[in-house]
Amino acid sequence: MTGDDAQRETDGRTRLTLAAAGASGIWDWDIAGDRLYVDDRFAALYGLDGDMAGRALPTATFFSAVHPDDRARLRIAVAGILGGAERFSKEFRLVRSDGTIVWVHGRGQGHADERDEPVRFTGLLVDVTERRLAEERLRIAQTAGGVGTFEYTDGYATVAVSAQFCRLLGLHPATALPVRTINALVAHGAPIVPEDVNAATEIAGEFMIVRADDEETRWVARRGEIMRDLDGPGFKIMGVLYDVTEAKRSEAKLRELNETLEARVQEEIAVRMQAEDTLRQAQKMEAVGQLTGGIAHDFNNLLTVIRSSVDLLRRPEISEQRQKRYIDAIADTADRAAKLTRQLLAFARRQALKPEVFNVLICVNGIADMLRTVIGARVELVIESNCEQCFVEADIGQFETAIVNMAVNARDAMNGEGRLLISLDDQPSVPAVRGHASAEGAFISVSVSDTGAGIPEDVLPRLFEPFFTTKEVGKGTGLGLSQVYGFAKQSGGEVEVTSELGHGTTFRLYLPRASTPPDAGEETRSPAQERGQGRVLVVEDNEQVNEFASDLLVDLGYETVSASNAAEAIGVLERLDGEFDMLFSDVVMPGISGVELARIVRERWPAIRIVLTSGYSHVLATDAGHGFTLLHKPYSVQELALVLQGRVAV
Amino acid sequence: MIPDDIALQELERDALTEIVNIGVSRAASNLRKMVADQVILSVPSMEVVTKRRAARLIAEREVSDLIAVRQDFAGTFSGRALLIFPQSNSLELVRAVTGDEMSPAEIADIEHEALAETGNIILNSCLATMANMLQRSLTMTVPHIVRGDGSSLFEVGDDAASDGLVLFLYIDFAIRQRDIRGYIAMVMDLPSLAALKLLLAEFIERIVGNAA
Amino acid sequence: MPPTALIIDDSKLARIVSGRALAELQPDWQRVEANGAVEALAIVNERPVDLALIDFNMPDKDGLELAAELRALFPTMPIAIITANIQDEVIARARAVNAAFVPKPVTTEGLRGFVSGAALRLRSRGE
Repeated sequence: MTGDDAQRETDGRTRLTLAAAGASGIWDWDIAGDRLYVDDRFAALYGLDGDMAGRALPTATFFSAVHPDDRARLRIAVAGILGGAERFSKEFRLVRSDGTIVWVHGRGQGHADERDEPVRFTGLLVDVTERRLAEERLRIAQTAGGVGTFEYTDGYATVAVSAQFCRLLGLHPATALPVRTINALVAHGAPIVPEDVNAATEIAGEFMIVRADDEETRWVARRGEIMRDLDGPGFKIMGVLYDVTEAKRSEAKLRELNETLEARVQEEIAVRMQAEDTLRQAQKMEAVGQLTGGIAHDFNNLLTVIRSSVDLLRRPEISEQRQKRYIDAIADTADRAAKLTRQLLAFARRQALKPEVFNVLICVNGIADMLRTVIGARVELVIESNCEQCFVEADIGQFETAIVNMAVNARDAMNGEGRLLISLDDQPSVPAVRGHASAEGAFISVSVSDTGAGIPEDVLPRLFEPFFTTKEVGKGTGLGLSQVYGFAKQSGGEVEVTSELGHGTTFRLYLPRASTPPDAGEETRSPAQERGQGRVLVVEDNEQVNEFASDLLVDLGYETVSASNAAEAIGVLERLDGEFDMLFSDVVMPGISGVELARIVRERWPAIRIVLTSGYSHVLATDAGHGFTLLHKPYSVQELALVLQGRVAV
Repeated sequence: MIPDDIALQELERDALTEIVNIGVSRAASNLRKMVADQVILSVPSMEVVTKRRAARLIAEREVSDLIAVRQDFAGTFSGRALLIFPQSNSLELVRAVTGDEMSPAEIADIEHEALAETGNIILNSCLATMANMLQRSLTMTVPHIVRGDGSSLFEVGDDAASDGLVLFLYIDFAIRQRDIRGYIAMVMDLPSLAALKLLLAEFIERIVGNAA
Repeated sequence: MPPTALIIDDSKLARIVSGRALAELQPDWQRVEANGAVEALAIVNERPVDLALIDFNMPDKDGLELAAELRALFPTMPIAIITANIQDEVIARARAVNAAFVPKPVTTEGLRGFVSGAALRLRSRGE
């Protein structure tokens, strides 16, 4: 293909493109021949006669219809082409014969021969009046809307920009800016003008910039299009930029508001939680009040018994039999007071459980007398056993407490008058209660039935809640039935309550049956007291308790030496080396604790038997005696005797 | 800020743009012949700025170190012309103008001299064309290779002269298939600018005057 | 014996390009290169040279001065001034020393006119 052929083909293509585009014409300026050729559309735009198209015209025709104000500009541009410039791109006005003005865009190309001499100047003329108007509107809109435009051809170091674009970035208005100048304004992150794009490059983006003139931090948004070359790696970006600082700030404010809202909600929640805490505290205080009242009440009763017994004992001429009865009453009442303490501690879940295997019937019979005093003379107590060898493994004290609690409850339900039946039965399973599935297995049940008013259905579910009581404040602790419940659960059992209004209530305590121990049938609590012998070092910081313990020990046949703390005890042991058989020490003492003392003694005087004692539940609940024999306070003389003789593993 | 006697009027700007266009078109045409590849050009940018600012404009353009072919010109108007591109493009440009026939060692060997010759052809043709358009003659020095940043290319120092105004012209060019880009820059000092204004007026008169 | 062409240019690249274009037009011609005026004058003193291609823009002495000196020594030798400095004034000065003007970059097309003219002249001189 010759150069001319190629040119004609290009022209042909151009013509087709132009025809499709609408009002546009072409020209072909023969520089060497000093002639101009135009097509009919060009002629029409210039207001030339139709038959001028295709004919050789004087080159001055090119300037004929041009607006006088644009003519000089156009001549200079054409001179550039005639002088060897390659690119021609000018917009200028044409004045029609009717005086109307048409804006046209001439885009042309200078063609040179092989000696670089310009020979032809060809181009297209497009009516851009509408576009100019649109652009003018766009320019106004851009200025009003603050939208700047840019056009970037990859490989260039400069970007064609609009004045508004420059203003947005705080730069002096220019038509072109270096890429780096623009991108240097981005505070951090991706550049505004990407010098490399790939398929994933997203033209829409937001950039934090520091404006060049006032160095103010602003946000700008970029939108536009990436146009890729069809044949090659090149691309072109046409885009717009606009300020979104206000939107960003509003967004930030909104976010801040949201965050504050969250904080405020949290604050509100905190206030409410505090209120709830306060409420709970108040409830607890109320409960403590009730509890204190209940304890005071119970203790008063117990003290009354002790006080009256003592008064009775002081009376002269009292028979030995009656003396013994009053002394027994005092002892029993003291035991009950201790039990009350234990019950309280059990509620606090600090009581160390001491499960042991025992015969329920013997135990119930053992407390029958006490139960009778508790329920009063007008309530008949009946104990029935439908099981043999009723052994369970549980804490005896807790078990007794549970029975007493159920009995007290029954008494109150009957207003002190009626029949109380305690019944022991074999049970092959535990029925499903309070949402718990039934459990198969060997159980023994202890039922406590009254002939009272019965419990209303709506109260039943709350029966075992701590502090739930229908009694007036001061009349009961409300801890009784919750203790029963806690004990049942801790012992792997269950408690069930059935009630019929007007007929009575039955509490049925289920406990897992234990296998019968080999020494079953023997009296577990032998009252026999053997005389003790040996020398005991008593360590106790409370003088009265120390004195009391020493007296008891002396009564039991021991020789005692007292020390008020561990250091003193060690001193005594050193001074009287080899003269002691036993150490009887409190655990919680100022200075060296009883446990530490016990360790020291075991280390230095291994022959000395060690017994520790404590009333502090936390000491008892934790690793009890750290391997030493531990006696719970308060203790009976009998318990003390058994422990000292080594007959009971406590 | 810019004295009136050197501030270019709109037509003068147009005229200078066209003249530079012609010069650069000729330069591009020559570069095209040398590298047998498409060379694309941007529209010339033209600013009256301080020499220091001109140096910064150049420094802003490229991150990497620059290499430039420098030729000073003197005549009715005087100044300095530079063909600038990133140093990383240097060998590729040499490879392009030597027609891919040389070994890497040979290219490295000839690099300096080949760059000088390439710059010589491009800047000469550009300046000569401009001189022809303005109908004045210019003398040109032999090309020098300069490496460094914008300041060293323009010899900007702490002296007051660096704050003087210059006419700064620059044109992007890119050899698309070779991934080579750079630009042609021209700096003219103030007395030259005043002289140039007169020449541009003459040029405009020649072009516009005969048919207005 | 084929004619000898002396290519004078301070640029090796330019000498290569000119040599290549010349070889394409006249493969038989011998080519001798000089990197400047001094070397060129030394060569023409030592051996016969039939035509010269001279770069205009050279450091020590410009091509037009060298052309004038060679013209004085060899009044009929075909000489071409090669330059990208296409100023009308430069072209006029080349003409003044009876030298042809060939624009840089040198192409086969650009050199063809000068070489065919030189070949004609050398043939007529040889006959």
